[in-house]
Amino acid sequence: MSAPHSDPLAHPEVQQGNALRYISGFITTLLLMFAALMLTIRQHLPYVSYAEAVTGLAVLSLVTQATLFFGLDISRAHIWKSLSLLLTIPLFIISVGLTVWMFQSLATRTMLMPAGMLQQPTLLQ
Amino acid sequence: MATQTPPSEGVVLFHPHFAGHDQISARTLGFWLYMLSDALIFAALFAAYGVLNNPMGAAGGPIATQVADPVEGFWQTCAVLGSVATYSLGTVALKSGNKGGVMFSIVLAILLAFIFLGFEAHDLLDLLAKGDGPTRSGFLSAFFVLVATHGLHMLFGIIWMLVMLVQIPLFGFNANVVARLLNLRMFWQFQATIWVILYVYVYMIGAF
Amino acid sequence: MQVAIEGPWSPLFGRLTLDAIPYDNPIIIGTFAFAALAGLAVAVPVLYYNKLGYLWREWLTSVDHKKIGVMYIILGLVMLFRGFADGMLIRTQQAIAVGPTSPGVLGAQHGFLPPFHYDQVYSAHGTIMILFAATPILTGLTNVVVPLQIGARDMAFPYMNALSLWLTTAGAILVMLSLFIGDFSAAGWVGLIPLTELPYSPGVGVDYWMWAIQISSIGTTLNAINMIVTIISMRAPGMGWFRLPVFTWTTLSTNIIGLTAFPVLGAALALLGADRYFGAHFFTAGNGGNLMLYTNLFWIWGHPEVYFLVLPAFGIFSEIIPTFSEKPLFGYTTMVAATFAIAGISWTVWLHHFFTMAAGPDINGFFSLATMLVGIPTGVKVFNWAFTLYRGRLTFSVPMLWSLAGLFLLLLGGITGMMLAIPSVNYTVHDSVFVIAHFHCMVLLIGAAIFAAVAYWWPKVFGFVLDERNGLRFFWSFILATAVVFLAMFALGFEGETRRLDYIYDPAWRPMLLTEETGMGIYCLSIFFFVRMIYVSLRDRIPVPADPWATSRTLEFLTASPVPFYNFAVTPQVNARDELAWRRAHGLERAQPQAFEVIHMPSNTGIPFIIGMLSLGFGFGMIWRIWWLAGFSLLGIILAVIIRSFDKNLGYELQPEEVAAMEHNLATAGMFAEQPARIQLTEAEAH
Repeated sequence: MSAPHSDPLAHPEVQQGNALRYISGFITTLLLMFAALMLTIRQHLPYVSYAEAVTGLAVLSLVTQATLFFGLDISRAHIWKSLSLLLTIPLFIISVGLTVWMFQSLATRTMLMPAGMLQQPTLLQ
Repeated sequence: MATQTPPSEGVVLFHPHFAGHDQISARTLGFWLYMLSDALIFAALFAAYGVLNNPMGAAGGPIATQVADPVEGFWQTCAVLGSVATYSLGTVALKSGNKGGVMFSIVLAILLAFIFLGFEAHDLLDLLAKGDGPTRSGFLSAFFVLVATHGLHMLFGIIWMLVMLVQIPLFGFNANVVARLLNLRMFWQFQATIWVILYVYVYMIGAF
Repeated sequence: MQVAIEGPWSPLFGRLTLDAIPYDNPIIIGTFAFAALAGLAVAVPVLYYNKLGYLWREWLTSVDHKKIGVMYIILGLVMLFRGFADGMLIRTQQAIAVGPTSPGVLGAQHGFLPPFHYDQVYSAHGTIMILFAATPILTGLTNVVVPLQIGARDMAFPYMNALSLWLTTAGAILVMLSLFIGDFSAAGWVGLIPLTELPYSPGVGVDYWMWAIQISSIGTTLNAINMIVTIISMRAPGMGWFRLPVFTWTTLSTNIIGLTAFPVLGAALALLGADRYFGAHFFTAGNGGNLMLYTNLFWIWGHPEVYFLVLPAFGIFSEIIPTFSEKPLFGYTTMVAATFAIAGISWTVWLHHFFTMAAGPDINGFFSLATMLVGIPTGVKVFNWAFTLYRGRLTFSVPMLWSLAGLFLLLLGGITGMMLAIPSVNYTVHDSVFVIAHFHCMVLLIGAAIFAAVAYWWPKVFGFVLDERNGLRFFWSFILATAVVFLAMFALGFEGETRRLDYIYDPAWRPMLLTEETGMGIYCLSIFFFVRMIYVSLRDRIPVPADPWATSRTLEFLTASPVPFYNFAVTPQVNARDELAWRRAHGLERAQPQAFEVIHMPSNTGIPFIIGMLSLGFGFGMIWRIWWLAGFSLLGIILAVIIRSFDKNLGYELQPEEVAAMEHNLATAGMFAEQPARIQLTEAEAH
């Protein structure tokens, strides 16, 4: 089954460990989160722009983690991890995204609105 | 290496002494796939949170801004990222087979993880004491379960680290121990990843 | 934080009291008698022939993918039988309780099943058939076949393979226990909210359903990981991606679905569990809960799940049809592409299960289009099979007949599915038996594929042939029964009969319902033929060569029949797609390796079985709120995992002389042979 006599410490996934990457990953992610925090505390953006900006910072932070922490690339040691992650991310987005879209629409159509709110859409709309 | 081939072809039918697959890579890939399935659990929890995080879901109880303080969350972010960085640096010591270095980093990582959990436990227990626990409203149920699920993962990671602290002196860096340390690195880094998403989704966008 | 539950609770026994045993229900008592007899029929010979040690050493502690696969299939077939019995009860109730003058016995106003019992029967029927019959059988088939098809010795993680089996078994045992101790869920296999919430289902039924599914789903997810890593990492040299058999490709895509979808089910059930155990408000009708959230989360899993079941069936057809047409599969590349297209699209269509939930025309339109889109790759597959058959030298063996029947069921089920994909049609037939007939066409095509696969690979695994005469009788009676029951059901769906009715008010429907009942009788006949087929096959045990069908194409038929436990004496070198067909074309199919070599095998271990039994204890404890049992079982599982991680065992080695001896006397290496104790290897002290 395995080649029992090769040194486990020589394995590429062990040897990929790199102090510079980990420290820069730590600092970068922390800075990005700090930037997001500042945007949150300052509260000078309208909601949609704020959400977009913070999401952008989060995406940057996730990419940082993927490359600097996890060390994902398309080398032989990592190709399947990278590929499986790339195929899973859309599923994550689909399940959360379509759910939220669905329930917003559902709420507009079925929840009782306080007087003076939007007209509920009818069946024909 | 050819066996029983017709004279005109150099066909190979068997592969004696086939070395087989790389055990450590197979294990890390398997663990990675488990983590992707874990990500989907969190996706479901995020979806539930997204649906219940609104005035109806709060049912007259506290809303997101009242339970999720982004500044407090930032300290938690520092703690978890610090724990992850510490452990990861420990795996750099692993490259040279430095047992002491690896174990020291694990101990530090555990401490930082406990700091993270301490913040979290403090928040959640505070809310419980005020009567704003998961039984108060749908929103709070979603908040508690999402945060606690991540916390539970951290707790399992700590237990795993403690077991490794026993196995490293006992077995040294054999294939099993190395595979587990690599898996733990991915697991731990994944906790930071989920936390970043949680922090942004719950403490920032969701609590605007 | 424990919620207020109905009924007594004691620290020692939780909610469990003697009242939980239904002494006064004759149907249950009869079932118990039958189950006890069946159990004795197995237990008595085992004890009489002193085979308990053999069972433990060779089967219960096995990590061999073939044995694990066979045990999965046995589990699935037993549960299939139970699920059929439930189906029989449903149909019989509906055949009797028609019209206000219909008779009522055994406490029912009409028919023989009072509503609360009837609801449990159809809930159990759905849950069992999907999760405890089809899933284990398909998992078992992929477990047995895929490592052989890719030229590997075993799965990537043999220990985890055994663990998956025993977790699934624990779930199945919980479902069976619910028959005799307490109730099962009466809220449908879907677990309809708010019926599954504590105020409306205060008993243990929903808890049984929930924990059985949760525990077995962990097994399924672990199996998915195992299969994917096996296919990626353990292919024989020369087995490039485009030489992979289509069954292996469908297994890969199926398990990608399983890996990604099952966690969402776990989350949905966990949130329901939070409502039931902690008084959370995820899905409650007040305090901010959202009922439709459950439906949404459930079907995010539920739709990919049906593709999880049907893609292996497509893979089975893709193996059998080329073999019995003596042609390579038409359109290999498009077949693979279609498989992944189906898997991908299946993740975006789930709302079609609840078009009527009023999400709005935009959303309904999106999901409707996505659903219809999935018909395109499915159509590609059907055409590919048809073109494979075209101008092939066809042999109508039993597996081939099952596959062809499956294609017709796919046609009918697929077209009615496309009808259901249209929201306006859906609004009319939602929750009617038209939907039931549609999905039964689909699951029966999966059933046809299962019976095809069992007939096809049985000789390979066991080394003797399945009786063909009774196999044919089984096939024809089963297909006739299917047509009779479900064509009538489509008609009743258009008449307006809704689902889950324990009493049918309109006597005009009686003829159709009686037709369906006749169909059920034909199913009973088919079961008789199935049992007879197994009996005759076991009695006669006519041995078969390595390639029992003489026209097989893929690598697993290169091994001897039965397959020795180490699979291949020397790893094969793969030269082409359909390696065996290629070798046969070059006259090389009987080539043997020149020399044998050391084979490293994993050791058997009892830990997966123990963890399985502990999870049974955990589930039972949680169901009956016996907290000490649940707590200690959980602790035991964690400790077992940790203790196992300290295991120094590295397996054992088969020496070349031993391998040579077994290759000459295959009975000593086959499925039922008892292996001698061998020297276990352990880690030399590390430094």
